[in-house]
Amino acid sequence: MEGAVCCWSRRLPGRPVLPSPCTRQVRSYYVDWRMLRDVKRRKLAYEYADERLRINAIRKNTILPKELQEVADKEIADLPRDSCPVRIRNRCVLTSRPRGVKRRWRLSRIVFRHFADHAQMSGVQRAMW
Amino acid sequence: VLSTENDKSTSSKDSTTEVASKSQEGTAKAPKQKLLDIIGNMTVEVSYRTKLKQLKTREIKKEATNVLEGPDSKPLNPELVQAVSAVASSLPLNKKQTESELLAQLRRHEETTDKQKKGGLLKIRNVISEMAVKRQSPAQRGVRISSRISLRVDEDDQRIKLLHADGSLQNFFLVSSPTIWDLEFAKEIAAVTAQPPRNGFEEMIQWTKEGILWEFPIDNEAGMEDDAEFHEHIFLEKHLKDFPKQGPIRHFMELVICGLSKNPYLSVKQKIEHIEWFQNYFEEKKELLQEI
Repeated sequence: MEGAVCCWSRRLPGRPVLPSPCTRQVRSYYVDWRMLRDVKRRKLAYEYADERLRINAIRKNTILPKELQEVADKEIADLPRDSCPVRIRNRCVLTSRPRGVKRRWRLSRIVFRHFADHAQMSGVQRAMW
Repeated sequence: VLSTENDKSTSSKDSTTEVASKSQEGTAKAPKQKLLDIIGNMTVEVSYRTKLKQLKTREIKKEATNVLEGPDSKPLNPELVQAVSAVASSLPLNKKQTESELLAQLRRHEETTDKQKKGGLLKIRNVISEMAVKRQSPAQRGVRISSRISLRVDEDDQRIKLLHADGSLQNFFLVSSPTIWDLEFAKEIAAVTAQPPRNGFEEMIQWTKEGILWEFPIDNEAGMEDDAEFHEHIFLEKHLKDFPKQGPIRHFMELVICGLSKNPYLSVKQKIEHIEWFQNYFEEKKELLQEI
């Protein structure tokens, strides 16, 4: 999809949105390319999760012979680099900020504060004690 | 209110519902609920005298069930029963006591899993199967003939037949293989009649239908349809048939199986897939292994 993107739309990393019966406002583009790459990494990590688990079970072992484990090492290195979960970064969902993101809300601290002050976060109140 | 009406309607059914209870497991829920609604509405028109008689017979039946040891709504798997007897005989303690205790535990386990799975539907089936097991006394039979509506569910779950007291059959064609045009028409109607939600409740209903909002009270097993018994999860050694019986690979696979048996989050299919993957992997590496 990104390969077919022409130069003028290179600014917005888009995904084609099929016509859906949803009448609400829907965000149809990712915030920036880094977010898109993160999305790709998450998808690949999900796909290869089982295989990585099994190959690692063979590697981190004291029972199986070492030659087998070396072969397994090479195999896991051959898997696509984006398939490892370590490369995933929990970015802010709205602004794609990589730092200062609270896991529970998946929002960066700035966005969180913005929404909390406008009373749009359920159960969140300014602390005072 | 609906459940009490259903109970009253089920009390007037006779032992042919034994067939119904078995084939009811095949029918869809929604059309059955519709039908039970219809039956419930029908019983409202029944006269007061027959209602009294129904209540009296229900009370007699309840006493009868308290006297009889009511059998389970779902009979235990005979293999499990055999396994229980084998285990009881292998243990050095009192054989009969251990057997009865194990059977009681099994029954409790079955009950809890059934309750979690089927919720309200089990109540109706319970009542119907209770009806099926009891023997009709001649006094009750006289009462029953007066207003009898027997329910016969067909093998193909498309049709449900109502056998009225005068013997006239009434066919309900509930779902008859909808064509594409029917689906399109239904979609069109839904799109046209879908009004924007008037208040927060309707908005939440819409969200629940779309899947954005969970259903409350929260069902921890929503979306997880694991119909496998507990022994299929735990005793995975039968999948290890093709592996060599000695050596480090066997040792490794036994550890894998031990770990999988303790994992409550995977389905049986996923566990079998794991084991098969390992099988394929070791087969491919056979030449390498023989060198070692």
